[in-house]
Amino acid sequence: MHADLNEWSGRLSALAGFDAPAGGWVAVQAARRQRESRASRALPIAVAAAVAALAAGLGWWLQDTQRELALAATQEIPVALASAAVRDENARLEELLATLPERQVMRGRTAFTVAELEDRLALLDDRLSRVTLEPNAPERAERLWRQRVDVMNSLVHVRYADAIGTY
Amino acid sequence: MTRICEIAIPPETVAAAQAGDQAAIEAVYHATASPLYTLLRRLVRRPAIAEELLQETFVDVLEHIGAYEGRCPLPAWIRALAVNRALMYLRSPWHRSLEWLDKDPGGADRLPAPEREASYEAGLERALMTLPAIARAVVWLHDVEGYTHAEIGLALGRTPSFSKSQLARAHARLRTELGDAAAATEGLPCTPT
Repeated sequence: MHADLNEWSGRLSALAGFDAPAGGWVAVQAARRQRESRASRALPIAVAAAVAALAAGLGWWLQDTQRELALAATQEIPVALASAAVRDENARLEELLATLPERQVMRGRTAFTVAELEDRLALLDDRLSRVTLEPNAPERAERLWRQRVDVMNSLVHVRYADAIGTY
Repeated sequence: MTRICEIAIPPETVAAAQAGDQAAIEAVYHATASPLYTLLRRLVRRPAIAEELLQETFVDVLEHIGAYEGRCPLPAWIRALAVNRALMYLRSPWHRSLEWLDKDPGGADRLPAPEREASYEAGLERALMTLPAIARAVVWLHDVEGYTHAEIGLALGRTPSFSKSQLARAHARLRTELGDAAAATEGLPCTPT
């Protein structure tokens, strides 16, 4: 066995070698610069990606929280002060909005509009939650409910257009 | 052919290279590049890949020379980096996707046909290149570079027995490729035990 292995070792070692490519050291230095440049680019990209992911996550969380707060506020609204027609319309729009698919990824313009409308809803809900303390409560509540229906209507239209891909 | 482990590098050059001296590392490159390139050409068939692996090996040397503690000769340490690089390449999906090209009879790396071989060396070289990549690596690392089966098994992430069986099969195949006459002339056994 050993004679055989030694024989192969001798035969293979006797094969001619190859000369290293010309300009090899220059190529090594170029490859090193390339690797360093890749590494220096990779860090900012990784940081930017992490920040973007964090921002997206934070945005989603804020939007979600805002929606929950808006919903909570809506539930505490003194609905008895508003007319039945306005309340029914509001309920119909809430139901309609709930049936629309909510996309995790929206176009920037759509997301901005939706966020703006939801902000307005939150503001209206906040005012509605305090409307009973005001002297002209019934009229004021009616006006706020109508404004809320208008904003809800806009929101439903935007979300519907986004859902069917035309916004 | 000079083997990598036979290369002697002056201790002062080694010390300067360890300290990160670029001129010393360049001197080490010039002393070891050809034997390393030969090793890489035996492990991977494509000259362009071997060239790239040589570059990457020396970029590794430049980056990690501080980790060299002098426990083995510097050329042996660099050889280990080159072998790791080559084996990583051989295990990569990229290499496997190119294997079919190497089997193409009209491929760029085609070696001379047996009837046109001018010498026994040319025949041996052709036979060596017909071996599968891992078998060829085992043969070269064991028979030429002097790796033990345990070292080869470790480098390949396999057992020493895997290395032994690969070597035995590769020797048998080389014998077949070289023709019965050559084996008979030299009176070699068919299968090493």
